Amino acid sequence: MSQPDFTLVVDQNEYLPDGGQDVSAIITVTSADTGPAAPAEDMGAAEIIMVDCSGSMSSPPTKIAQARTATSAAVDVIRDGVAFAVIAGTQSARPVFPRDGRLAVADAQTREAAKHAVAGLEVGDGTAIGQWLRLAHHMFTSDPAALRHAILLTDGQNQHETPEQLDAAISRCQGVFSCDCRGIGTDWEVGELRRISSALLGTVDIVPDPADLAADFAAMMAAAMGKAVADVSLRVWTPQHAAVRFMKQVAPEVADLTGRRAQSGPQAGDYPTGAWGPGESRDYHLGVRVIAAGVGQEMLAARVSLVTGGPSAPEVLGQALVRAIWTADEALSTRINAHIAHYTGQAELAQVIQEGLEARKRGDEDTATAKLGRAVALAEQSGNEDTAKLLAKVVDVVDAATGTVRLKKTVDDADEMALDTRSTKTVRTRK
Amino acid sequence: MACPFCSSAHISPEGYCESCGRKAPARRDHVELDLGLLAGVTDRGLRHRRNEDAMALATAQLPSGPVAMAVVCDGVSSASRPDEASLAAAQAAASVLLAAVRTEEDLAGASARAVKSAQEALIRLAEPPETGAPAATYLSAVLTADAVTLCWLGDSRAYWLGAGADPVAQKLTRDDSLAEEMVGAGLLAEADVLASPHAHVITRWVGADLRDAAPHVSRFEPPGPGVLLLCSDGLWNYEPAAEALAARVLPLALTDPLGAAASLVAFALDAGGGDNVTVVLVPSPLARPAAAGPEDLPAVASA
Repeated sequence: MSQPDFTLVVDQNEYLPDGGQDVSAIITVTSADTGPAAPAEDMGAAEIIMVDCSGSMSSPPTKIAQARTATSAAVDVIRDGVAFAVIAGTQSARPVFPRDGRLAVADAQTREAAKHAVAGLEVGDGTAIGQWLRLAHHMFTSDPAALRHAILLTDGQNQHETPEQLDAAISRCQGVFSCDCRGIGTDWEVGELRRISSALLGTVDIVPDPADLAADFAAMMAAAMGKAVADVSLRVWTPQHAAVRFMKQVAPEVADLTGRRAQSGPQAGDYPTGAWGPGESRDYHLGVRVIAAGVGQEMLAARVSLVTGGPSAPEVLGQALVRAIWTADEALSTRINAHIAHYTGQAELAQVIQEGLEARKRGDEDTATAKLGRAVALAEQSGNEDTAKLLAKVVDVVDAATGTVRLKKTVDDADEMALDTRSTKTVRTRK
Repeated sequence: MACPFCSSAHISPEGYCESCGRKAPARRDHVELDLGLLAGVTDRGLRHRRNEDAMALATAQLPSGPVAMAVVCDGVSSASRPDEASLAAAQAAASVLLAAVRTEEDLAGASARAVKSAQEALIRLAEPPETGAPAATYLSAVLTADAVTLCWLGDSRAYWLGAGADPVAQKLTRDDSLAEEMVGAGLLAEADVLASPHAHVITRWVGADLRDAAPHVSRFEPPGPGVLLLCSDGLWNYEPAAEALAARVLPLALTDPLGAAASLVAFALDAGGGDNVTVVLVPSPLARPAAAGPEDLPAVASA
């Protein structure tokens, strides 16, 4: 297997004031762009598509029709040799193709057979997404392929199981496969799908118009086919008596990995980043609290390694050092790192959007106006134009620079959900 | 090597302790040299990440009596590799001085040749050509039974701290600095030099970029017993007055130059340690002090 070369670059202000304990850094991880990958042949790739076939998918009937078309479009993009399957989800889960509950090996013939099966998808019954995840887990783990990815499509709320049952299914799947989630229409819960996608290191988005589904599915599948390295983790070594305060992915979108730490040594923990393809670049924000040393002293506050291959035979793909130097020179210790400030703003942007929409739903218009106004100002300052456009569909912007806004009287549900799902998307610092 | 902070035996290739994370101190962070006739201490200070000061000490036993030599250089931080520059300059100069002393050459001429060899060392260091040519201040002293021969470029200083019945303490060098030139021109009062923004703008130095800077050479005959002090600005920033420096080290420096040098460095660190600090003390008349260490002290040492 040819793995792309990875580079890790640290951006930080390493200077701390006397007694300072908090060290913060942005770590940019980039895989070399080695051209279209011939990825992962010896580790094998597997794909499962989970399609909502609950009764609501037939109102209007175009929904299930577009879901069938989209699934077929995704199947078309699956590369020869990749193990794959399609699951129909209701309050239970059923393998649609292949029917024996195993994974098929993609070739022209199996792709045609899969599309034929998908064309016959029927709707009826309720929704229990945890059941779909459990079947996907069962099918993935009965196959040796290591690079596992799933697509989950739903149009409604998870009504036929408890939130606890869904959570249990999610945690069972964590670390086994990654999952991109798509909501069609406006009857589904953003929070529900975000729980799944963030736990399973995938994306979540709304597809307001069923006609756009096929292109979206094909793009997701193409991205999955581009992955070359599975199960990549950031391993963070810290000095004795130091603690990681947080580890967040901050670009291309915000994802808090702090709670996902798995101890990998007496002074090291691993944070999962999922699979990587060539030419990918992501930014991470690491916060470490150390024991202060004296002025003039230097400490290695963290050694960040990118590892794959699991704890038994880890392979280090790249490494970067986060330093702390104590100084009495305030000009040095108070210098604000532009990169860190930018991402702190982007994380706040995601937070105030979610809080603002929450307040709006509760009818607390003052809080909603304040939060969404702050969001407009942050999006303006950081040049996050996509988010600014989404915000403008929910509020009337009086003055973007100061964040002066008025709530719109009527807001399209799809616009509100698009803002919610895409609130975590960030932009990189302006050049 | 074990970590000096937590005693762990594991130091990473980048020089960090694998247990407590602390950066292992560099050898030059704090060095004490004792050659019996003279001693010196150099320290990184509290603000800088490395020690860019250097010193080279040497002794010789001639039929006419003992001779002590010292060179102190302070690397110019704004130039490239200042730590290597200061050490290379000091070592090159000291070896020229030692050879000249052993063959009993004229010390003023030898001092000027020593500067030249320091200059050449920096030119070698500058190859391949770099943007900021390596540079350092330069101060040498050769003390015989009769006199001190001083030679300098820049703002490292020599002081005579007399210990006799009617003690005299005086600065023996004049800084090559913008502030000093302003004092000379009547534009700045001596007392205001330290507060001036020009206090540390040096006008001459030894370096690959300034090949024709003429060094100052002077001769001083000690009027009685006392101690010769050579130092970088890391010390005199905190105490420029000769009398006050004398009060800090005498009479200890007469019998324990190493202990006295260490106490002056400790004073500079306590006062803020804003710069690298180097202190060399040579008691006069030259004699092996009782407090000196083992009999077989080296004749040359540098750090």
